[in-house]
Amino acid sequence: MKFLTTDQLDAFLGYVAGQARVVAPVKDDKGVVLFRPWAPGMPVELDVLLSKQSAKEYVFRQSETYLKFGYTMEGLAAAQTESPEVAHAAATEAEVAAVDVAKAQDARVKAFETVVVDPVNEAPAQVIFGLRPCDVRGFVQMDNVFSGYGGFYFDPYYNAKREATTLVAVTCRDPRSTCFCTSVGGGPAGTEGADALLTQVEGGLTFETFTPKGEALGAFPGFAEVSQAQSLYAETVKETAASRVAPAFDLEGVRDQLRENIEHGDWHDLAMRCISCGTCTYVCPNCYCFNITDEIVETRGERMRTWDNCFNPMYTLETSGHNPRDIKSNRFRNRFSHKFWYYPDKYDSLLCSGCGRCVANCPTRIDIREVVRTMGSPRPVTVTGEEA
Amino acid sequence: MATQPQVVAQVPAGAPSNPTEAKVRELAKAALAEGRVDYVIGWRYGYDRSQAIPAFISDPAEADELIINPLIHHNLVTFLKRKMPDPPNAKIGVCVKGCDSRTLVALLQEELVDKERLYVIGVPCRGTFERRKIEKEFSDEVVDIVVSADRTTVTATTRSGESKDFAFDDVLRSQCTACRYPNPRYADVMAGEDAPARLEGEPVWPGIDEFEALSAAEKDATLARVFETCIRCFACIHACPVCYCWDQCVCRSRKPKLVGQKVEASENLMFQTIHMFHVAGRCPSCGACDQACPVEIPLYLLHRKMNKELYDMLGFEAGVDLDAKPVFQTFKIEDALGEH
Ligand code: SF4
Ligand code: SF4
Ligand code: SF4
Ligand code: SF4
Repeated sequence: MKFLTTDQLDAFLGYVAGQARVVAPVKDDKGVVLFRPWAPGMPVELDVLLSKQSAKEYVFRQSETYLKFGYTMEGLAAAQTESPEVAHAAATEAEVAAVDVAKAQDARVKAFETVVVDPVNEAPAQVIFGLRPCDVRGFVQMDNVFSGYGGFYFDPYYNAKREATTLVAVTCRDPRSTCFCTSVGGGPAGTEGADALLTQVEGGLTFETFTPKGEALGAFPGFAEVSQAQSLYAETVKETAASRVAPAFDLEGVRDQLRENIEHGDWHDLAMRCISCGTCTYVCPNCYCFNITDEIVETRGERMRTWDNCFNPMYTLETSGHNPRDIKSNRFRNRFSHKFWYYPDKYDSLLCSGCGRCVANCPTRIDIREVVRTMGSPRPVTVTGEEA
Repeated sequence: MATQPQVVAQVPAGAPSNPTEAKVRELAKAALAEGRVDYVIGWRYGYDRSQAIPAFISDPAEADELIINPLIHHNLVTFLKRKMPDPPNAKIGVCVKGCDSRTLVALLQEELVDKERLYVIGVPCRGTFERRKIEKEFSDEVVDIVVSADRTTVTATTRSGESKDFAFDDVLRSQCTACRYPNPRYADVMAGEDAPARLEGEPVWPGIDEFEALSAAEKDATLARVFETCIRCFACIHACPVCYCWDQCVCRSRKPKLVGQKVEASENLMFQTIHMFHVAGRCPSCGACDQACPVEIPLYLLHRKMNKELYDMLGFEAGVDLDAKPVFQTFKIEDALGEH
């Protein structure tokens, strides 16, 4: 354990910035705390407990370009004038007959031969500084999905960034009333997934490292040796913080009860005040649903991944026009069931780190603790509500 | 299964704190008891007494949880819009403030809501708070907000017990400081005496003069900066009661592809500009979008500006008169001549 005096914090960040991009919680001009690329002179906000949005954006980008592509003009012209689509669009039978399908196919192939594909996967080295332990666990939970857990999918885009990233957490001195990390297996000084952990004490911060990436940061020459008083102080801060997090629910049996209650009418009642936006999922450190689309302007385009969310009315809209989650309460049920049932079934852990962002930032304050408590317990039998 | 500990998700309201609140509870209770409505949408406390949440009350006994105070910023008309009324044939009681009622009038003018299924409880309004203005004065979490009986002082207290006083008018939402219609323009029943308007005569548009004073380049720079942090969560358009093509929205549709999916300032602004045009004529600047936005994008810049233009050019104000034709469904030769 080392010690960083408060006046050395900027120097430390400057030192780190010399080696990698630093991302840290800062206030924007409206006073909203967000993770942003840090530059010398920017005050880092460690007193406001939680940034509005988690830092997942820096590893799992909200918009991620997979590859860029383009037709040459000649190729495009050939595809447009002679392609099979033109034959289909022809108005009369005579016109259709006049299209030389073989020639059209040939033109199509040529057009594609002139397509230029340029894969993109940028992953500069970065240090995300000032994460809360729940934010760090968010990455651990997303790792399961993207990093080949149990032989499932391995995502090169996510992993390139994840490997290039060092996670520096800060102990939560004053957990909020919406925090419930201790109910989902974490804590305000949790270290799971963290490369290093800072704890604010009198006069500065204690600094602990857990991985080689964390130790590398320990090379900053401005660190002092930690005194016994300081390390004791840090222990007290951690204990006090943990005692400030109220138990939200008992996880035992939740998964089974969610399965049991899947058709229960209470889902409908709980979802009544939800406006079906996507705020909860976009501020969450571990919601990971995404879309893949081609964004094309004239002859050039990008294939990109963008965040999606289960509250989007188009979330599971099928090409046929059918949507298995057509109504709000079905989408609502998905979010909580995914976190406490479907994901646990697949990855044997939870998809919630208890940060409470979805509670505090929901426009109508839908409370995940209440939902888990209600739908994760035995329910009196009701007739499933008639729904819109 | 172990017993679950209780974190309170909705704190109880207690005895009525003002006559309007008492009246709203009484009206809601009666409407439910008589079977006039299946449920009443109003406001109740959320997980602490510093914030209100929309309440859906179907049990008459629960009507005592309804609150009327300056925390009730939510525009509940959003729950009546397309695909929201739930179940589709429900009879719904709904509480509206002045600005909320104007969005309801706009929906009624376009025959998008069935009047017969509604029981509208009008709430005379004395202004609602910009809670985030208060929140920013502390680094700890605000858990309690109390208004003095004479409505001059607002006391906010944090979780660790620190508290500060604010002047009532200083923490109002900006549209409330210039509110000309605090009393509902449409209601089946009023829950109290009319409240005084904060502004008589010509409308004013808080924040717009400053924006208009900027050069074109500065305006572009301001908009680019403002929309840079938008996370495209769509809380703004879902909270908006008069934005009703939500499940068919061109801003996320890929067919047609009008707005790029890349989340960046220019596409974000494009999306918001489409929203601004789509709600023009129905938007009364109620501010529901501003309140819903988690990153506090000042959406009023676009909407208020549009409303100012509509007023200056056509003398039009959204949702003030149920019998009036919506502005985009009429044409007057004077309009073309700019002499409304
Ligand atoms: S579900 Fe809510 S509490 Fe859990 S990690 Fe996500 S935002 Fe935080
Ligand atoms: S729970 Fe809240 S944040 Fe999430 S979709 Fe519903 S209203 Fe939006
Ligand atoms: S704009 Fe007027 S009616 Fe609406 S909340 Fe403010 S004061 Fe009330
Ligand atoms: S609510 Fe705010 S962040 Fe979300 S889409 Fe609207 S402007 Fe963007």
